[in-house]
Amino acid sequence: MVPQNPYEHPVNLRPYKKKKPTVLNTFRRDYQLWIMIFPAIVVIFIFNYIPMYGIQLAFRDYNFAKGLTGGEWRGLFYFKQFFESYQFADLMKNTVVISLSTVVLSFPAPIILALLINQLRWKRAKKALQTTVYLPHFISIVVMVGLLNVLLSPNSGVIGHLLQSVGLGDVNLLGSTSTFVPVYVISEIWQHCGWNSIIYLAALSTVDPQLYDAAKIDGASRWQTIRNIEIPALIPTIIILFVLSMGSVLSTGFEKIFLMQNSLNLPVSEVIATYVYKIGIVSNQFSYSAAIGLFNTLINFFFLYTMNLVARKTSETSLW
Amino acid sequence: MQLVQKKEKATAHKRNFGEWAFDAVVFALCLLIFLSIVYPLYFVVIASISNSTLVSTGQVTIFPKEISFFGYSEIFKDQRIWTGYGNTILYTVLGTFVNLLFTLPAAYVLSRQEFRARRFIMFAFVLTLFFGGGLIPTYLLMKDLHLINTIWVFILPFSVNVYNLIIARSFFESSIPKELYEAAAMDGCSHFRYFGSVVLPLSKAIVSVIGLYYLVAHWNDFFTGLIYIRSNGLQPLQIVLRDILLSNQVFSQGAGAGGAAGGYAQQYADQVKYGVIIVSTLPILLVYPFLQKYFDKGVMIGSVKG
Amino acid sequence: MKKSLSVLAVLALGAGLLSGCGGSDEDGASGGTTPDGKVKLTAIMTKHSLTQEFSKMEWLKQAEERAGVQIEWQEVSADWGQKKGALLAGGDIPDLIIGPNAISDADYAQFPGLFEDLTPLIASSGPNVQKMFDEKPETKAIATQLDGKIYGLPKYQRFWPDTTTRQYINKKWLDNLGLKEPTNWDELYDVLVAFKEKDANGNGDPNDEIPMDFAPSGTGGFGAFMPTMLLGSEGLTMTDNSGQGYFVEDGKIKNFFTDERYKDLVAFLHKCYAAGLISKEVFTQDYTKYQSVARGSGDTAAVGFTWGWEVTDRVGNALAPQYESLAPLKKSADSTVQPTWSYDYNSLNYGVNMVSMASTSKNKEAAMKFINELYDPTVSMQVLFGSLGTNIKDNGDGSYSVLPPEDKAMDPGTWKWTSTWADNGPMYISDSLKLTLGTDMQSVGSQTEPLKAALDGIDKKKDVLPTMFIKYSVEDNNTMTLNNTAMLSLTMAKWAEWVTNGGVEDQWNEYLDNVKKTGIEKNVEIIQKYYDDYMSKN
Repeated sequence: MVPQNPYEHPVNLRPYKKKKPTVLNTFRRDYQLWIMIFPAIVVIFIFNYIPMYGIQLAFRDYNFAKGLTGGEWRGLFYFKQFFESYQFADLMKNTVVISLSTVVLSFPAPIILALLINQLRWKRAKKALQTTVYLPHFISIVVMVGLLNVLLSPNSGVIGHLLQSVGLGDVNLLGSTSTFVPVYVISEIWQHCGWNSIIYLAALSTVDPQLYDAAKIDGASRWQTIRNIEIPALIPTIIILFVLSMGSVLSTGFEKIFLMQNSLNLPVSEVIATYVYKIGIVSNQFSYSAAIGLFNTLINFFFLYTMNLVARKTSETSLW
Repeated sequence: MQLVQKKEKATAHKRNFGEWAFDAVVFALCLLIFLSIVYPLYFVVIASISNSTLVSTGQVTIFPKEISFFGYSEIFKDQRIWTGYGNTILYTVLGTFVNLLFTLPAAYVLSRQEFRARRFIMFAFVLTLFFGGGLIPTYLLMKDLHLINTIWVFILPFSVNVYNLIIARSFFESSIPKELYEAAAMDGCSHFRYFGSVVLPLSKAIVSVIGLYYLVAHWNDFFTGLIYIRSNGLQPLQIVLRDILLSNQVFSQGAGAGGAAGGYAQQYADQVKYGVIIVSTLPILLVYPFLQKYFDKGVMIGSVKG
Repeated sequence: MKKSLSVLAVLALGAGLLSGCGGSDEDGASGGTTPDGKVKLTAIMTKHSLTQEFSKMEWLKQAEERAGVQIEWQEVSADWGQKKGALLAGGDIPDLIIGPNAISDADYAQFPGLFEDLTPLIASSGPNVQKMFDEKPETKAIATQLDGKIYGLPKYQRFWPDTTTRQYINKKWLDNLGLKEPTNWDELYDVLVAFKEKDANGNGDPNDEIPMDFAPSGTGGFGAFMPTMLLGSEGLTMTDNSGQGYFVEDGKIKNFFTDERYKDLVAFLHKCYAAGLISKEVFTQDYTKYQSVARGSGDTAAVGFTWGWEVTDRVGNALAPQYESLAPLKKSADSTVQPTWSYDYNSLNYGVNMVSMASTSKNKEAAMKFINELYDPTVSMQVLFGSLGTNIKDNGDGSYSVLPPEDKAMDPGTWKWTSTWADNGPMYISDSLKLTLGTDMQSVGSQTEPLKAALDGIDKKKDVLPTMFIKYSVEDNNTMTLNNTAMLSLTMAKWAEWVTNGGVEDQWNEYLDNVKKTGIEKNVEIIQKYYDDYMSKN
């Protein structure tokens, strides 16, 4: 692609009309850009890249005396240990079920909410709703789970009673293998949907008011305005966030699941994160947990990479 | 479109009804969402001042019962709360400032199509979302940099959040009209100036969002304090509150484990739990309305063309 | 221009970062001396979150004074595990780390050289610790690691009962319905059915009684106040609640998760659950709810039969008089098995690794002096119950009494936990100390009486697992943890499923096969090896 003149700084126009622009020969032209990105590069290099040597812990024993890089090399031993462990299949299944249903179901929710809020004409109601929906985000997980316990209790909870009154009587929402995932996902949506809608609201705020006026003149219905003006305005954000969320197919939070666990829902609620916690209680299994973590990461990254490829091929938006 | 127009003229009445029905549905849905969110929040408030035995047996539903402020007096009795508040505000303000200072220019650079290193740097940044060395090497690094037990550990490390960077970048990419830079460059405008006097003013919405993300992240951060801070004088609010909050779990492991304390203090710990949420969230709630105005429709274009 | 200023600022910050800015050094508090000649030390203590700030503890101030030290405390009550990992791996520990098993045996083994072997220091400046070792040799055994060194010091708190769990039944309900106290499972079943069907609490509603309730069995194994206590009816003696199922019987290590007697218990509990005799929420309620429900409303009790630490703690002051402590049940009227009970004396009265010292400490002598202060009998008493004057009365004749709470509405337990380190502190309550306990501990004692025959009947040599006294190697520890994690995720899920839905009879054999796959036999083998080794030496 040959860059168009106006994009370039006039002074530096010449050097790369002749040959393909590369990092080196555009450096003089782009020095300002380099200055602007320099701090970010430094920070990320220092705090994210330097400690990365720790990844090798997944392939070594931890040896305090000899340091992180000094332990005995074990190759894929800890990976094998995980793959061959009694719980491996269950852990993988549970983790994927929980994280996929969380991603798939909680992804569209904030988009819909943002569109809905945007359609609300009564200014005060809009403000009130906007301020309320993001509040649950601040409830810490410990209290969130406590809240679930109190509200969902079949004997004494408000929601438990509500369900009884519509004839769903004796389901114990807190202790059943079939309700664990729905309760987890719905409470996730309840808690974070409003917060996540903020970014979409911001994106909607950039829509040119003239477009709305034009649509009005054209006699477009409200529904058509949403479809033809607002959703297209959200598309880039949606794509980016979706690609990013694909990078977490194997990550579930730890704390919430752990606190929601009980012996009745254990067959579906034991996930990789809780397993890693439990094996580390008595003694720090540094290498084993590092191996499990790395395995997790690789899978997540694979999904993100693939999704990004798809996004780049099918739209103009992609991560890199 | 024309067809729609004709049809609409013919049935102006119907359209008004349609509009009305649309508004009604929107309003009803919003009301439903509002109620489903407000009730549990309201419950947190009344639970924080009610007798905890009644709360957990489901006897507190609409009005608080056996009102006592034991929870709050317990929270505020802790001297550390006040230093915690002070520290957290300092870390949050300073931290968010540094975050924005590092993130926004970088996001702008990465949004420039002509920046050749763009894809490589993006990729290198995204990698860090996934691959990390883990806690031990990071801790050792902080130790070598002498950041441990200083306020800088809250501010400098990870001051560029790649996730936020990506969001800001894609916003710059998709929402700032390309013609603007062309025009500015014609006038001999540098990137610095273009960014400062064109891009930023046009991006109040995203700056507010990213700012809010960073702000809240700093506000809620207890991990940094937990791992890297030793002096009580430097601990942020969340550490203090988490200490108070988690006492609940001490007992949930089975009361016998706590040296057979039984559940004596449990009851008291419980009432504190809901109060903690309110004490920790209230200040940050005050920030939101100030940012909210930047999300209003058409803020950006208005500022350019108006 | 504003922007270029910002850019400058960015650069400056970036440069500052590179040169490792943040200047302020490692606090340097440790090692120096104060103007008045006291040695400065740093310490971390894992305390209960409701425990008041250390600066308000009079006894601690005095103890530091006498030891000639000034300690900068870091009080931790949440997420210690996470913090500890980084702290130890970074090799960056304070002079002292205090708290129940705050540093575990596994940590000592995994981080060699980080902690000081206290043996020579005890000899030189720890006479009180030495006295504990002399008077109670088992404390020295607890403290000694596999390599013969002593990194962490234990506690001994003497007054605690033989078991954590007491069994309560609502006597008033029995009287209302004209029933006798049950003595075996069948009678218990009949009593519970009566509780359920009739209006036992006499409030006019026959449906608000919960006949039986027990503490929520988590996913990580059993604990106190759980129905595994009924295994005692079948002559199975648990030690320290046998949370992961391991127990010893006639010198042989076993696990009750694969024991026929456990199967019988599960079947019995299912029979109760199916008949609606056990709270529906028993597996999903948290501990708070378990406690709250039993408080009923006013003087109307809600729960008929349950387990707890002490009756006022379990059901509240208002209802406590209605309940009675119940002796262990037989399995059936014609059973000849002598009922037994969980024997928890060791875990209640001893604690391991209550205090450890950094090998990098610059003032080991001073630190040891302070530790020695804590083990002074009168200081230890204050560690446990609070300062002399406010929490403990000096009777003037060499004897002491624990005072009731200042605030009349507060119970003695909460009073203790809020005012001092309580059970989380290192201490030696010597057997010769003359101390009158508070009302809570006295009633724990009297409520243990009905269990006494069962507890006394336990063969402490052959049927009690000396968990406290056994130290495992790192490898064995890791193997056991991995196997136990797998085993418990299977067994605890099955436990809840069987009690609520039944099926234990049909699935038992298949279940046994699966449990074996988790490596339970390997674990039994490991424990047996260490147990035999321990028994041969003692």
